Amino acid sequence: MQHIAERYTGASVRRSEDPRILTGSGRYVDDVRLPGMLHAAFVRSPVAHARITRIDVRAAAEAPGVVLVLTGEELERSLVPGPGIAAMFSRGAPVPAFTTLASDKVRVVGDPVVLVVAESRYLAEDACELVEVDYEELPAVMTPQAARDPASPAIFEDLAGNVLMHSPVAVFGDVDGAFARADRVVRADLRQHRHQNAPMECRGVVCSFDPESGELTVHSATQGVHIVRTTLSTALGLPPEKVRVLAGDIGGSFGLKLGAYREDVACAAASRQLGRPVRWMEDRLENLTFSGQAREESFEVEAAITNEGEILGLRVKMTIDTGAYPGMGTMLPELVKTMIPGPYKIGALSFEWTAVVTNKASYVAYRGPWASETWVRERMVDLVAMELGMEPIQVRLRNVATRETPPRRMVTGRSLAGVTAKESLEAIASTVDLPSFRRLQAGAREHGRYLGFGVATYIEPAPGPLEGKGGGGIMGPEQIRLRLAEDGTVTLFTSQMPHGQSHQTTFAQIAADEFGVPIEQVRVVVGDSDLVPMGFGTGGSRAATMAGGASLHGARALKARVKEIASHLFEAGAEDIELSGGSVAVRGVPASAMSLAELARAARAPGRLPPSLAGDVEVTAAFDGGEGGWSGGSHAAIVEVDVETGQVRVERYVVAEDCGTLINPAIVEGQVRGGVAQGIGAVLLERSVYDEETGQYLSSTFMDYVLATACEIPRIEIEHLETVPLDADVNFRGVGEGGMIIAPPTLCNAIEDALSPFSARVLEQHLPPARILELIGAIPAG
Amino acid sequence: MTSFDVELTVNGVPRRGSVEARRTLADFLREDLGLTGTHLGCEHGVCGACTVLVDGEPARSCLMLAVQARGADVRTVEGLAPDGEMNRLQEAMWDSHGFQCGFCTPGFLMQITALLAESPEPTEAEVREALSGNICRCTGYESIVNGVLLAADAAISHE
Repeated sequence: MQHIAERYTGASVRRSEDPRILTGSGRYVDDVRLPGMLHAAFVRSPVAHARITRIDVRAAAEAPGVVLVLTGEELERSLVPGPGIAAMFSRGAPVPAFTTLASDKVRVVGDPVVLVVAESRYLAEDACELVEVDYEELPAVMTPQAARDPASPAIFEDLAGNVLMHSPVAVFGDVDGAFARADRVVRADLRQHRHQNAPMECRGVVCSFDPESGELTVHSATQGVHIVRTTLSTALGLPPEKVRVLAGDIGGSFGLKLGAYREDVACAAASRQLGRPVRWMEDRLENLTFSGQAREESFEVEAAITNEGEILGLRVKMTIDTGAYPGMGTMLPELVKTMIPGPYKIGALSFEWTAVVTNKASYVAYRGPWASETWVRERMVDLVAMELGMEPIQVRLRNVATRETPPRRMVTGRSLAGVTAKESLEAIASTVDLPSFRRLQAGAREHGRYLGFGVATYIEPAPGPLEGKGGGGIMGPEQIRLRLAEDGTVTLFTSQMPHGQSHQTTFAQIAADEFGVPIEQVRVVVGDSDLVPMGFGTGGSRAATMAGGASLHGARALKARVKEIASHLFEAGAEDIELSGGSVAVRGVPASAMSLAELARAARAPGRLPPSLAGDVEVTAAFDGGEGGWSGGSHAAIVEVDVETGQVRVERYVVAEDCGTLINPAIVEGQVRGGVAQGIGAVLLERSVYDEETGQYLSSTFMDYVLATACEIPRIEIEHLETVPLDADVNFRGVGEGGMIIAPPTLCNAIEDALSPFSARVLEQHLPPARILELIGAIPAG
Repeated sequence: MTSFDVELTVNGVPRRGSVEARRTLADFLREDLGLTGTHLGCEHGVCGACTVLVDGEPARSCLMLAVQARGADVRTVEGLAPDGEMNRLQEAMWDSHGFQCGFCTPGFLMQITALLAESPEPTEAEVREALSGNICRCTGYESIVNGVLLAADAAISHE
């Protein structure tokens, strides 16, 4: 079926990724087969915190099929010491010293200790069984409270204790004045549990070092090929141009697959040592136990409010459990600080934070990494409403900034230009008829049925208003390269590395419209560090604005180049050249028409064009985000809580989202629904559980770390608002993270509302049946 | 380690191999036969990405040994569009924007193929129940359910 559209942008064009994905012909890293390829497996720590006193690999080295066994000490000799990717995200926090494979200490269950490379994965794992490691166990430091105790055993000897960083108190506005003016103060200690990204494809890498050329080729499941190249070339002491990173289809990531991990470095070094390709595919046990975890943060919050429901100010203390090895845990609190006022007129904020090290898996980015700002704020708004006996949506409408009235900035300084929280809340109110729901709820309670309604609102800097400053937000401008191939197709090279986001469709839509060719004539190339421009890759919901904008401006530049070439070929003014339907012609002279393929060939033909235009028809462009703008919206849930079993059922879920101009509504809706599903799972099902005594990880299978299925996730109703264009051309805004940012508070608010007859206050994000029964007093709190 | 001969039919083609007893059917398909369309998501039988049809019934190829498939008729995702033309289910999934990253996709497609063979016009509740053993981390399932209903020519109901 061919979709015919005036413009592709704005239409739910079918995905160009699907013909390969639906037929089993996608190519994921686990599908890469190279001649002579060997297989890696890791001996990992069975304990959370210990000194390594002895490693004996002799039996493993002699086992059938084993080619190489490397301990941490041996591996380190072939590497350039340094913090690797940790330094990139540490943002001024101290970065402790550690080796790629643990050599003196292990600091988390699953810590890699020995690398075994063999002719098959089966044989590599057999040999891992033969490695003997003696551990002298140390007490495991498993909670922020334990980490704050100066008597806790130092996880890293070169850090002063297990508190990694404590920020100064940041003060915005007149905080003391706000609390002095307040009629009341609402206090709450709020906590988020430890989530997992859990992409369906685990991490994986195939490293292939060519001893002849000295070049390392790496096939990686990653969100960005250049970060992998940088981290591996640094660790191995190779010039970056000798490292080529390739990525094919990626089976999800949600923030996990950023840069080269310690295992990737070990495999690259092993391949260099052996001169043969070395492949490692993480298994799910390794993935859940060690790859990374996210979100474990707690907050002490005070809100200064008036009796009319105005929120005058907040005092916030945040603690983040970064896990064992440095990850993103010291980067996020500053983002949380900046974003916590959200779309609200909150006039005063004090914020301080503490990051601690524990013997848990490292803190990694996960879909909307700073999302706790929304969870905490939206929880507090409902607690304020409860305190005052007001309808929560009314408290929101009273406090949100509007486009008509000041302030035009968050108290933390970010512009609120184009914010549409009020509009999305009103859209929710009109979709869900709240007065009639309240009547239904009251009636149901009389029959022992507990229904609840919850609403929450958020904005996401994707990339946020840029106020004429450009710059592209925290990850900088986005580059792109476009070439008119000799068959007349437009090839677009992007540093974005889609892993489910459908960029090969959406960028093609934009470029096809701007350049003026059918979408089938646009090819989007990703995942080759030798071909695509330097860039961060995919993350931070930046692709829509940044790479979408780069696609638009790049296609515009390519069109100008084509017209310039045509004007030479036709000896006509560039302004008289028309480009449509895959050919160029002099306006009003149809007989002059030349296909784009002919033009591309003519440009390469000797002597037909001046040197400045001759050769490949190719342009590069960079986009700085233009004026940018907020992505955001409001979500609402109606739930029923079974007070006998503690089971929560999501009866209805309603979304009013504003991501600016939609590129492809079906793809936007897929991103929204997927994020909401992860949020529902996070609240009702998923949790990373550790034994706090031993440090053992208890959620190491999908029977323990439970993901939502088609039976738990309801249909999700979505209304799109496309409210405020800030930029002349580019008003696409990122929508990948929003659902996961806003669904947890939406659901928590609904559950608390359902439990209001029990005077339950929801102070944590994880609400499985047992916790629900505790909240209503059916079982004692444990 | 002792090897065993295995003969079976995969996507209508007779195949044979010599495998260790411990070799999983998934590894046999992916490594020995080069049929990498079947994916491994958890290797402990929960996620369903590795689902194939064994004599018409969905089976977790990560939990089944290759030797257990002796003489069986195995179908994988590669068998759904043998001549390059997508079948009705694949077309419906394309039209419905069914999947995103595509990693769980082969398992869903095989599970749905079994469902539609047994129940050509399932209700939405039946579809969701039938898919409850397959995990997708990307989509929230609605687009997949829509694809099944579209494939079954069932009207999409918002009930």
